[in-house]
Amino acid sequence: MKITIQVMNPPYTYEDLDTAIKIADEALKRGHEVKIFLFCDSALASNKLVKPVRQDRNIPKTLKKMIAEKGLKVDICGICMDYRGVTKDMIIEGAVPSGVPELAELIYESDRFISLMA
Amino acid sequence: MALVLIKYGFDNPAERIKLNTTKEEDSVVLIQNGVFWALKEEIEKKVKGKIYAIKEDFLARGYSEKDSHVKLIDYSSFMDIIEKEEKFIG
Amino acid sequence: MEKKVLFVVYQAPVGSIWTNEAFRTAFGMYGEDIEPAVLLMESASASLSADTKPESLNLLPIKIVHRFIKRYETPVYGVKEHIEKYKVKNIDENFGAKIINERDLSDFFHSFDYVIYM
Repeated sequence: MKITIQVMNPPYTYEDLDTAIKIADEALKRGHEVKIFLFCDSALASNKLVKPVRQDRNIPKTLKKMIAEKGLKVDICGICMDYRGVTKDMIIEGAVPSGVPELAELIYESDRFISLMA
Repeated sequence: MALVLIKYGFDNPAERIKLNTTKEEDSVVLIQNGVFWALKEEIEKKVKGKIYAIKEDFLARGYSEKDSHVKLIDYSSFMDIIEKEEKFIG
Repeated sequence: MEKKVLFVVYQAPVGSIWTNEAFRTAFGMYGEDIEPAVLLMESASASLSADTKPESLNLLPIKIVHRFIKRYETPVYGVKEHIEKYKVKNIDENFGAKIINERDLSDFFHSFDYVIYM
């Protein structure tokens, strides 16, 4: 199954990225094809320069690891990156700058679409 | 019919609408702060469709399993629901 | 097969970006075989007022979406009870909004493949 998970809220301020990662992890375990679409403030979760305090989780690093090891796909809304000063050289390896046309394609092609509302 | 995902608690007007507009065949999942709705005794009667809450989100907010008035589920059961429901409202 | 997608805004059009984002996303759907629609409910009902002017605070105007609503004939919906609750009197005809009752929302939501709250 093709599953897309759309996130809108910023990482760390809210639990949405953590939820998306858990859904993605479970879906990947079952052999589904999973893409996380980072929309609006959630685009910040693709920034590899993010530096949380030691006892906190590193969300961009977790995403990067899931891309490399589990085949997760991560798309980032490009305009949302521009608005937040996230440039292409700042994003985690394997994540892809994308946009609303790609989101439309995902919505059309996915068997399941899950969105975490703002 | 649809997976209805509830992410916020009583203070969110959109969640009130979502819960009021479910249908018998829907699967309603309370996630994150949406789990606060599981504290309401009458929730299963008021909401049409099967209603579930993510167990770890509920317990993390200081409650125990017996405080919930809906079935508590893990991410594996949540994935079963995602696989089952083609439509999405959330 | 065509997919029907509803974007729902429930947050106010001044002070949050969601009215603009919902329309921007909806317009992006036309590249695929997707039929998008936008529902403005709760405090987002204020988006429908011809007198609502985010630009007076130097925020992004809402009016910029009108021309695309016309071009694509994007269906826009408001909720009668919410329009009354927020005392929206001067509805901007440029939205071409259809007003539905809250009690009809259940069937309305279930007529879409995906209902995406922003």
